[in-house]
Order: sequence, then C-alpha cells, then structure tokens
Amino acid sequence: MPARLEIALKDHLLDAEGEGIRHKASDYFGIQLSRVRSVHILTIDADLNPQQFKKIQTEIFTNPVTQVSSFEPLAIPFDWTIWVGYRPGVRDNAGATAVEAIEDLLGVTFAADAAIYTSRRYCVQGSNLAKDELNRIAGQLLANDIIQQWQIIPQSKWNPENGIGIIIPKVQLDHIPTVDTVPIDSDKTLARISVERNLALNPSDIPTIRSYFRDKNVQADRARVGLSDPTDVELEYISQARSDHCNHNTFQGLFHYRDLTTGQSERVDNLFKTCIEAPTRALKEQKPWVISVLWDNAGAGRFDDEHYYVITGETHNSPSNMEAYGGAITGIVGVYRDPLGTGKGSRLVMGGYGYCVGPRDYRGDLKPHLHPRRLLDGVIEGVRDGGNKSGIPTTFGQVIFDAGYLGKCLVFVTAVGIMPARINGEPAEHKRTSPGECVIMCGGRVGKDGIHGVTAASETFSENTPAGHVQIGDPYTQKKMHDFLLEARDKGLIQFITDNGGGGLSSSIGESARYANGCEIELEKVPLKYEGLDQWEIWVSESQERMTVSIRPEDLDEFMRLSEKHAVESTVIGRYTDSGKLHISYDGKTCAHIDLDLLKHGFPQWEFEADWIAPQQRGLVEPVIDGPQECGMLLLDMLARPNICSTEWIVRQYDHEVQGSSVIKPLVGAERDINSDATVTRPVLAASKGLAFTQALLPAYSAIDAYHMTACSIDEAVRRLVAVGADLDHIGGVDNFCWPSIQYHAVENPDGKFKAAQLVRACWALRDMCKAYAIPLLSGKDSMYVDGHLPGRYGEMHKVSAPETLQFSAISVVEDIRNCVSMDSKMPDDLIYVLGITRDELGGSEYYAHFDEIGLNVPRVQAENFWPVYQALSQAISRGLVASAHGIYRGGLGVHLAMVAMGGHLGMQVDLDRVPATGVNRDATLLFSESAGRFIVTIDPSHHQEFEHLFEPTTCARVGTVTAAPQFEIKGLDRTTIVSVAVSALKAAWKKPFGDLI
Amino acid sequence: MSDVNVLILAGYGLNCDNETAHAFALAGARAQVVHMNALINGEARLEDFQIMVFIGGFSWADDHGAGVVQAVRLKTNIGERILDFVDRGNLILGICNGFQALVNFGLLPGFDQDYTRRSIALTYNDCGNFRDQWVYLKTNPASACVFTRGIKAAEFPVRHGEGKFYADEATLERLLADNQVALQYARPDGNPADGCFPYNPNGSLHDIAGICDPTGRIFGLMPHPEAYHHWTNHPDWTRVHQAARRQGRSPADSPTVGIRMLQNAVNHVRCA
Repeated sequence: MPARLEIALKDHLLDAEGEGIRHKASDYFGIQLSRVRSVHILTIDADLNPQQFKKIQTEIFTNPVTQVSSFEPLAIPFDWTIWVGYRPGVRDNAGATAVEAIEDLLGVTFAADAAIYTSRRYCVQGSNLAKDELNRIAGQLLANDIIQQWQIIPQSKWNPENGIGIIIPKVQLDHIPTVDTVPIDSDKTLARISVERNLALNPSDIPTIRSYFRDKNVQADRARVGLSDPTDVELEYISQARSDHCNHNTFQGLFHYRDLTTGQSERVDNLFKTCIEAPTRALKEQKPWVISVLWDNAGAGRFDDEHYYVITGETHNSPSNMEAYGGAITGIVGVYRDPLGTGKGSRLVMGGYGYCVGPRDYRGDLKPHLHPRRLLDGVIEGVRDGGNKSGIPTTFGQVIFDAGYLGKCLVFVTAVGIMPARINGEPAEHKRTSPGECVIMCGGRVGKDGIHGVTAASETFSENTPAGHVQIGDPYTQKKMHDFLLEARDKGLIQFITDNGGGGLSSSIGESARYANGCEIELEKVPLKYEGLDQWEIWVSESQERMTVSIRPEDLDEFMRLSEKHAVESTVIGRYTDSGKLHISYDGKTCAHIDLDLLKHGFPQWEFEADWIAPQQRGLVEPVIDGPQECGMLLLDMLARPNICSTEWIVRQYDHEVQGSSVIKPLVGAERDINSDATVTRPVLAASKGLAFTQALLPAYSAIDAYHMTACSIDEAVRRLVAVGADLDHIGGVDNFCWPSIQYHAVENPDGKFKAAQLVRACWALRDMCKAYAIPLLSGKDSMYVDGHLPGRYGEMHKVSAPETLQFSAISVVEDIRNCVSMDSKMPDDLIYVLGITRDELGGSEYYAHFDEIGLNVPRVQAENFWPVYQALSQAISRGLVASAHGIYRGGLGVHLAMVAMGGHLGMQVDLDRVPATGVNRDATLLFSESAGRFIVTIDPSHHQEFEHLFEPTTCARVGTVTAAPQFEIKGLDRTTIVSVAVSALKAAWKKPFGDLI
Repeated sequence: MSDVNVLILAGYGLNCDNETAHAFALAGARAQVVHMNALINGEARLEDFQIMVFIGGFSWADDHGAGVVQAVRLKTNIGERILDFVDRGNLILGICNGFQALVNFGLLPGFDQDYTRRSIALTYNDCGNFRDQWVYLKTNPASACVFTRGIKAAEFPVRHGEGKFYADEATLERLLADNQVALQYARPDGNPADGCFPYNPNGSLHDIAGICDPTGRIFGLMPHPEAYHHWTNHPDWTRVHQAARRQGRSPADSPTVGIRMLQNAVNHVRCA
C-alpha cells in the first residue's frame, strides 16, 4: 500500500523556505501573504509493513529536534494550500536518495516498479487572496509546468483526512519495444519522416543517406544480418551525429563573404579549420606546454612535470530557457563529465559560469516562457546545486543583462580538471579502445529524458519545441561515479573513457568505436529507469550522469568490485570489435549495422551567404553629447547599472573554496566584496604553483562589429590574467560562440547574411588575436540558433535574436602563488598609475548605453602595442613591485578607479590630464571610454623608479595617489575637481540594485 | 611515518577528503582517505586509527536533512564499532556535513555518556540560502575541547545551507554551562556576533559554531578549518602580505590557525 508522509518544521521555528516565498510574492508580484509554511511530502510506493513505515519515519525522515511528521495530513493552518509535484518521468533526486536510505536502514531491496516520489505542499495564509494570485505564485514562482504539476486548494475544499491524496507520478508506458523500418523510396519520403520523427535531418544530407542504404554492397551486407531499409535506430544515429550540435556543420561550412562597401568578396572554407585548428596547431608546435588539443572532450596543458590541467566550456541555453533550474544544473553537471572523460580521466578542480539574460526588471510587452528574473533565479540555483554538490569550487563568473536575451538566455559553464601526467607509466592524455575490450556504461540509468536534446539545441525555440529534453542533473550520482572512476584510473583499469552527453550512447559509443574500428552492442543489457523504451530511444536517450568506459576483459572483475564499493552501477553492454561496423542488437536481433566511416564521408558541406555592411554604411554615428556637469552623479549612476553593479549575491551562493585550493577569490578587498579580475586556485595542494582563470563577455560591441567584440573580449581576458600575476606565455583559451541563426531566409531570417558575416568576422578576430597573443585554443564550442519567438501584447509573435556573443575563457599557470596580486588598493600614499592609452572609443560603451546610444568608435585592439605593456606589468608583478593591479574594462577608467578605491576602502586623488591618451579632449571620454589594453596599478612609492623603468613613458603615467581619507576625487582636464564622492557612497550606489538579495 | 593515524571518511557525495587529508598531513599525522563502505565491509579497521574525521560535503545530497542518511547508514552498519572507538579514548572531528552527521548520530552532544541520542539540529540558515563567506570565531578557554586548546580566535570559511545551530532551552543551557560550546561566531573585534548577520551567518542560537562532547574529544563545527591550511587561503592575504613587506617582514610560514587546530588533536594523541 502506498503511503504519504508529510514532514514540516515545528511551528515555532523559522521556515526560511516559506519566508523566501512570502518575500518573493511581495517583491515580484505585489501579492501580500501573511505566512507561508512548507511541507515536504514523500509518497512511498512500496510494500512496507507498519513497523517499517514507523521506523523510516522516526529514524530517517523526521528530525526529532526540529520537525514533526505524519502519515496523515499535518494540521497546519492555511487559507490556501498549493501542492507541487513532478510530472511523470522527471528526475526526482530526493526520491532516489530516499530509496537508498530506506534500503540501507531496513535491509530491503525495492522492487523494480517501487519508488518514492517527493513533492511539496505550501500552506499559504493571507487575507482576501484570489485564486488567480495563487495560480500566479504556483505557476510563476513555485513550479514550471514543463516538469511539474500543481494543485491549488482553498481551505473550504480541503479534506483533512485525505489531504492532497496519494499522487504517484509513475511512468507507465505499456509499450513493447519495437524497431521500425523506414522507407527511403524518395528524398521526399525521407524528408517527411525526418519531420514526423523530429530527426532534424538537413535536407542536403538526405540524398547522401539514401544513396548509402541503396548501395548494392551495403544492401548485400545488411541482408546477411537480416536488415533491408534503414531502421529507426540507424536513422537516429545518423541524425544525432550529423546534428549541428555534434558535428559543427556551421563552423565547418562554406561561407561566401562579401563586403558590400568595398564590393570585395571572399570564399571562406571552414571557419573551424582556418581560424581555430590551424593557429592552435601552429602554436602547439611552438609551445611544449600544450599537451592535447582539438580531439578529446577537453584540451590539456602542462601544469607541472607531474600534472596536466584540462579545460573545456559548454553552453546549455535551450533547456535552461525552458526550465531554468533543470537546464542549468544539467549544464554544469554535464560539463563536469568532460574533464572526467578526458585522457584516461581527470579530477575536477574548478568551474566557471556566464549568464546572459533579459533585464531582471523587464516590464515590456513580450512574454518569454520564464520572466528573466525568475529565469535568472533558477539558473543561479541550478549551478549552485550542481557545483556545490559536486564538491567543485565555482570560482569565477559573470552576468550580462540585455533585452536581446529575452528570446533565449545563454548559460555558459566551464570546467577545469587535473590529471597525473602518467598513469602506470603511460601517458595519461592518451586513450583508445581495442577489439575485444568491454563496452561499459557507468552511472545513471536510461529513461525517456533528454531524447532529441541535441537536435532541439540545433533548432530555434518555438512553442512547439518538445519539452521532453528538459532534465534535472543529479550531482550526487555523478560525484560517486567521479570518485569511483578516478580510483579505477589510478589502478590502470581504464583504457578509454568518454561521457554520455548530447546524443547519449549513440554519440559516445559511435565515437569510441572508431579507435577499435567496430563494436557490437546488446541494447537489452542497458539498465533502464522503467520498461517500455523503444530501441532507438535507449540508443539516443540523453539521461544524465553516465560515462562510457572501455575495460580489458582481464580487468573486468576488479573494475566491478570497485564499482560496487562506490555504490555505482556499471554494466557491460557490448564489446569493441574490428569489423568496421557499428552493430547493435536487441535480444539477439540486429537493429543497426552501419559502416563506422559513413559519417566521415560524402556529406555535403553547409553553405552560407555572408554580407558585411560596415557600421558607417548601416548609419551608425557618434552621438553628440557634450560634457556632463555632474560627473559625480553620473559615476554613481554608472556604478548602479545592471551590467556593472555588484552581483555578490550570486557569488556567495557558490562554494568557491571547497578543495582548499583558493588563492585569489572571486571577491576581494578590505570588505571582501569587489570582483576580482581573475581567480587563482591550487589544484595540487603540495605545489606552490597555481592556475589563474578568467572569462570575458562583451556582446554590446557586436552592435557595431563582431570582429572588435571578439578582439576586445580576448584582450580583456588576457589582461584579467595578467592582473593577478599569471604567466603570459602559458595562456590557453576556450571560445564559446553563441550566435543567432545565420541561414538567410527572406521572411524568417532577413538579416541572416549579415549575422553570417558577423560570425566570419568574429572568427577572423579569434584567429588574429590568438596569433598575436600566442593563445592556443584548448577547447571551444558553438551554439547557434540563439533566437526565440515571443508573443507580444496583441498575440503577435516577435522573433528576438540575441546579440552575437562570444564568451572567451582564459587560463594560465601562476609560477608562485605568493606573487599573486589582487585588484584592491592597499596602502595610503601609494602611487596610482594608468598603463595603456585611452582613445576616443565610446562606441558600444556602457556610457553610451546609459543614454540609449550605440555610437561608432568601438574599441580596437592594437595587440603589437599592448603586448610590451603586458610583459612589463607581468615582470613588475613577479618582481614584487605591484601592490594592486586591475584592468580597465566595461564602464571605463572612472568606473574601474572606483572599483580599486572600493576594494581598498581607501580614497584616491587622480588627475585626468595625466592619463595617457590620444585624441581625447573631454573628461567624459577619459572617464568612460572603453579602450582596450589598459590597467590601473598602485605601487609602494619606494618602487616608483624601478617600476617606471619597465615601461615606455607614453604608455605609463602616474595619475594620482591613494589617500587614507576615503574620499574619491578626480580632477578634470581643466584641473578643477569634477568628482568628489565618499568611497562608501560609491559602494552604496554599486550595491543598490541587487544588494538586498541573498 | 607518523605515529598518529587519521581516518578521513569519504564516499556518497562527501567532498572535502583531499584537503582534509592534506591539512592533517601538515599537522604531522598520517591521514588515510577511507570509503565508508571499506569501513563497513572490513577492508579498513577503526582499530588502526586514533582520529576519525567526518568531513564536509553533501552526503546523500543532503536531500533528507544534512548528514541524516550518513548517520543512519553508519549507525545501522557500524554503530557499535564507532562507539567502541569513542570508548577507547580516541578523537572524532566533524566538519560541516560531518558535524551534521555527528549530531544526527548522537555522538554530539554526548550528554551522560549517551552517544546515540539526537538532541541538536543543524537546520536551514535563516538567510534562506547556501552561503560561502569567512567568519570570525572565538573559542571558549574554559572548554574541555581538545581541538581549540591554546587558540583564542580563528577565521575560517563557512560553506553551507543548513548550519543554524538549534536545540531546546534546556539543552542549550547545559551546553553553555558545561562549556561544551567550544566555538562561537564573533565580530572582527572578538565580541560576540550576537545573532547579527553576516557575522553569525546562519542564525545559530547563541552564535554557536561548534561544540564538543563532555570529554572534549569529540568536536563538531560548521566552519572549515581544513580550508585554511595555507596563509594564501585567507581572504585578506594579499593585503596582509603588502603590509608585512612594507615593514620588511616576509610572510609568516608558521602554521595557520586551521593547522594548529588539527595539531592540537595530533599532539593529544601523541601525549595520551
């Protein structure tokens, strides 16, 4: 008999969850609630006797000090009850751990169809509440209809005996798994089936697929295993592998680039090869520290003689856009499997994040599925639980607000791992599968979740996008698997390892089988969450927390013993062969038999028209704004802009120092609240070396030219690393492109050609900058189709495209962490220097954005002029001459001088006329221009000669002094004081927008 | 090889094993990371250790109360062996999730030598969220706590969502009266935090950050001493370092207060 256990905090205890809801209802919707109490519900669908029920109630699920519980509904007063539970098939992590706990306590094993379902009941009190208001709270705060169901019950309709009843969201498919054969009599038929089955096959791929299956030799071969036309398993395999998400068809495409101003045209064949692969390969030759790039799940660089670090970055935009918490937690937990699946396996040592969302206070007419505020809350919490519960410090991150992200948000997640250089005497970065080895699936089980996630990520978001690909990551299961696999690695048991991410087994086995050149998979052996999945679903399901591992038969017993010790499920599902075929069977019957090299040959290249129109030709001009009289007030307002102000509330939710490796934290300074340029961690506690990590995101410049957006992002990331004391010759990069759709369509995407040209230009900048700064691209990903269709006030649908966005992550080694520098001013009387030249480059700036302008003069990177400054600063830091160093980024010199002052909680006096500048004759330009290549440095006055000696006088000037009195004073070009503000007032303004959030 | 063996209990979502082992090694002990199941199945024996550490992390994802399932599993499978370990005069340290496990097991507060009764809860932070920040702490010089001996004040990070120390009045009075309250949240000047956020980061009653059993040999705390094993872990180190250099001093390579806390335990075993 199923039972329902209700658990709540004792009445006199503060219910922080309930209080949080009460506050949000008021802040977000203006709905006043007097009291909210939360009740945790376990619905236990298992055969337990009354003694057993009693035992689990008292020993596991009720804290005698703080909680009350009952198998009857708890009598907690309410005016309305809101019940929220998961829909069938949605991952219920707490339900799963409840089963584990009960099995352990009672020494029982749950039957295959027994389970525990968690849900929540909220007892809401308030006067004159209308059902609509409750609906709003339920639908827009407590639940997301994509993954959850809810009920709203007024006190008058409440049955105190039955409560919410016994609700069991069990998946019951009552379906006998079947393999379908798909007719391929014409291109049209296959195109139709592609739409019906949501295969998202590219029309130009269809003839290639058909000709393969119609080949006489192939047909003869297939007949021998009992196959004729392609099966659904086979077409799903091809669809997954050919998707833009897995195959990067866009970056490997052929671009017909035309500059409409000059009339010149250029054929750009394969952006990946020309702008990413070629420069990185060339740099690998020059830089022996580059260990492994361009093939594995993450790139590897040398940390020290005994260790390599690995890094990769991902996005999880579409799922997060629909279910923010689930999408984000799945994203961060998912990217953590990449280092784990790099080489023979790497231990995770840190994570990073970047969020691009609509304005948090958006009040316009467009109706995104989730309001940006709620979406951001969910994304923050998803990464919080995913990172914290993985035991991996989340050290660095950024948030950008822009209305362009209302259509689809961006969620960047970055992962860094570390591996020993050698395992059992063999290079740890090498791995391969060999014929005869066992194919093992480790970790979670397979369900319907995540099916077609990859193909959905390759499409624009619309109301018809299937919600089935939304998942909820399970960091607990993955952490156990992580610990297990690293122990197995250290024992030399792992020959090959890769993660099951996009495309599931289809992708991980399809790729790993290429080394051995074949595999035989018995699909019926794959452990399932519930029965009734079709074979193709098992094959492509993206159920999370799974790795595919290749083990030698002689190591199998030991591997399985370790797996059991770590309470991780591992299953042999087949073996690698040298047949050249991907051979899949189910209960002995073949359901796929495909040449592994099919995907490598014969598919046509995607083609794009790319028309560049220069900014002037697009009508962009510099706005005419004459010098502000109230520079102090302007500066305060600039500090309070959403893209500049404090986001401490996010940083504090993330454990950024687990593993004991923290050296430079995300927040630094006297009051530990100012954003650091980069973070430094010590992945090897016994070593005095560190890893510096940072990211840059400057999508605003794309409004003028994505070339300069890209160049400035890379320059900013480099400066961020230099500022903390990282090694300049050891910088590795990770490029994460998020672009709106670039395929031209006269009606659907009329500016597609321009967006394609922006992409080409961004890639050119990537190539140019990586060459100029000698940065190999250790990893990178692209996510296209960042567009959404949103209903407006009249029911009309608007296409909203995101600004062309690149997140550039950079990593480098710090030789000696004791030489690291933080950005906060340190001592009164220290000298303030500005390095680098300020130019009239307000185009795309935060200053212009403050006045709703774009402008024209976008900042330009002059790498060859900047580099000597970076080298000199780097040298000054390693010689111990620098007290603080901080780059000048978004918002310009004024904003970043304020950051340095706030960091030290010390005043400063600065003369703008001493700032190195070219072609600038206005205070506002000096204060807010976002010219690249600049720093603010403070030093001990006794070092000034040695320090200045390192720089060309034109690029380094002493501009002022740090003062004990915490007053921030700036003199303008005419030598009069134009800003005089207390440092505490600066900080109050900077913290105003989000300072109350926790 | 050291004469003091420390068992670092790991597995099931716990995650501070590496740095806790590293910190104990710095404190002069021989630390060994042992999976909970290796202890249960007999692969590892408690008899070989003098200090047992319940580390930080998210055991069983904290889904049903932080540290609850871990406590149930240990109590069910090796409860007696752990009680014997205590009886033999050994030391137990519980940090964060480990502290939560100790109170749910009943090893703390250990009134009247009853090490199985649950009378304390570490419940949801009043601020309503997980929080990572450094806190100022003051110790209780009158406490029997082995770990805090000779230490007046300390700074460590807290990193938890469920760290609010809660118990009924009688329990609290007894803990205070018997000096089992070994560690309290404080202000930077050493005065009590007095419940004031963020100095008291979670709303703990009486600012309680850590308690010991009546013998002082079992100690649980929410802040992470093992996360302050090197002077560059401290959030102010770049500032302190600058100030020291101006005075011609080099940064002290003496042990951090985090390591000193563990050294106290190691020395206690050595002298016992």
